[in-house]
Amino acid sequence: MSRNDVIRATDVRKSFGQLQAVNGVSFHVREGQCFGLLGPNGAGKSTLINMIYGTTLRGSGELTVFGLDPSHEARSIKRRIGVVTQDNALDESLTVRENMEIYAAFASVPRDQRAPRVQELLHYMNLGHKQNEPIASLSGGMKRRLVFVRALLNNPELIILDEPTTGLDPAVRHLLWGKVKQLKAEGKTVLLTTHYMHEAEVLCDQLLIMSAGQVIAGGSPEQLRAEHTPGYVAAFDDPPRLAALKAHAESHGLQASQDSSGLYIRAPHLEMLLRFQSENNCAAIQMRPSNLEDVFLQLTGQELTADA
Amino acid sequence: MLETLTLSLSIVRRNWWVYRKDFLANISPTIADPAFLTLSLGVGLGAFVTSVDGHTYLQYLAPGLAVSTAMFTAFFETSYGFYVRMTFENIFRAMLTTPIGINEIVLSEFIWVALKGAMMVSGICLVLALFGLFTNPWLLPICPLIGVLVALPLGAIGLIASCYVKNINQFQTVYSFVISPLYFFSGIFFPLAQMPPALRIIAECLPLYHGVQLSQALFWNREVVATWTVHAPILMVYSTVLVTWAFRRVRLRLQT
Repeated sequence: MSRNDVIRATDVRKSFGQLQAVNGVSFHVREGQCFGLLGPNGAGKSTLINMIYGTTLRGSGELTVFGLDPSHEARSIKRRIGVVTQDNALDESLTVRENMEIYAAFASVPRDQRAPRVQELLHYMNLGHKQNEPIASLSGGMKRRLVFVRALLNNPELIILDEPTTGLDPAVRHLLWGKVKQLKAEGKTVLLTTHYMHEAEVLCDQLLIMSAGQVIAGGSPEQLRAEHTPGYVAAFDDPPRLAALKAHAESHGLQASQDSSGLYIRAPHLEMLLRFQSENNCAAIQMRPSNLEDVFLQLTGQELTADA
Repeated sequence: MLETLTLSLSIVRRNWWVYRKDFLANISPTIADPAFLTLSLGVGLGAFVTSVDGHTYLQYLAPGLAVSTAMFTAFFETSYGFYVRMTFENIFRAMLTTPIGINEIVLSEFIWVALKGAMMVSGICLVLALFGLFTNPWLLPICPLIGVLVALPLGAIGLIASCYVKNINQFQTVYSFVISPLYFFSGIFFPLAQMPPALRIIAECLPLYHGVQLSQALFWNREVVATWTVHAPILMVYSTVLVTWAFRRVRLRLQT
């Protein structure tokens, strides 16, 4: 760990009754980094995030943000962070501008700077033309964009994005990715939780994969792929033949896993998969380099979806 | 402390902005209910009642109805209103990502219900004064204080209930067994002297009873200083105990 760590967590634990929500998690997020927390619902990501800004108190372990303890110095931490919450939590009856002005006051933005800051951010996210519209008239994507810039009102050093693009169409998702990259380029630190593996690959420098409150793997996307699923993946979707194909693959030393979406066979070289296809007289519906989704499947044996 | 107050007032401002968006709909039940009750019970039923404690029934009813406005305003705001903001709208979860903490959220609820209670009671008192039901108009400026003194303990009851209920329907039970008895047995509709001694003692322990006493003293210009010296401090004690309890419950509910 270095001096410019923004977040340091060492053996952090939290339980709710019998449920061990976070179980001995350790990691550190460096300044300027985009750090991803991956895992299905119930993995402990949100509990961990709530601990970072002091809404959930940790059970044991050490956790510091900017060198401060969130259990005792939450307000000092919250002055320096911005959070895109999972729920939009916007005041539907108020206008876009009113929502932003209210949160500018909550974020302790000086009174004389509120209006210009709100205007600047609304235009930054192409919402300037909607500033006098009530929230109820906005599309889901526009609401999400508004929540995104709401988190930037206090010009935060650390931005926490809790599933920022869940349920959004690809165009809005790509727009938000662009903004995250821009913020990173400005030197902001980003902590991201997501269900989308591609999102994590595009944005994150470092990742932590969690399951049932524990860390099951960590590293850069490249490291994780190289370590857990090197090479290529072929996906098959021919239900009557999947069991036989799986057995054949395993008998030839290839990794194979099956879930509700089909059979996935992994090999270090593309030629091996092409040979497997011709030997079995079958056609893969997809053949591609392995990605983080394969890493997750390999490590947990389960699909990573919003409903998982 | 100054920052806590500033942040709490920013939440109060947010509540006001949301409230004023639908001002007429929000204010209607608070104004209309006591107005129609005054009309039906005071004027209608009052025709059959010759005298209550030396007053016409309309004169008797008016002070209690004014106080009940503060009770309903405070209870509904901190029960249904708070619960919706906490669970369905997730407003507090979003607020807690900013420098706002749980203390500011709870303090803002009490400032907001105190202001609403003061505003509602003042409005009702003013209207009733226009009908000649307020004996000494010079006492009207004191009316907002009744709103504050009643809104704080009743607002606390609403907050405490919000932390205990498992779903929004359970507020009906709280309303039926806590708020309704306060409304019917605090001396609004009849003098408590009519009740059996044991029940009377229980009724005199209810917080709303003390609010009714304060209001009757003002409306009837009767022993104002003596009544306020006794009943206002009792309401303050109620407020202190219930507000402290509410702070603790909300903290347990919002901080995991």
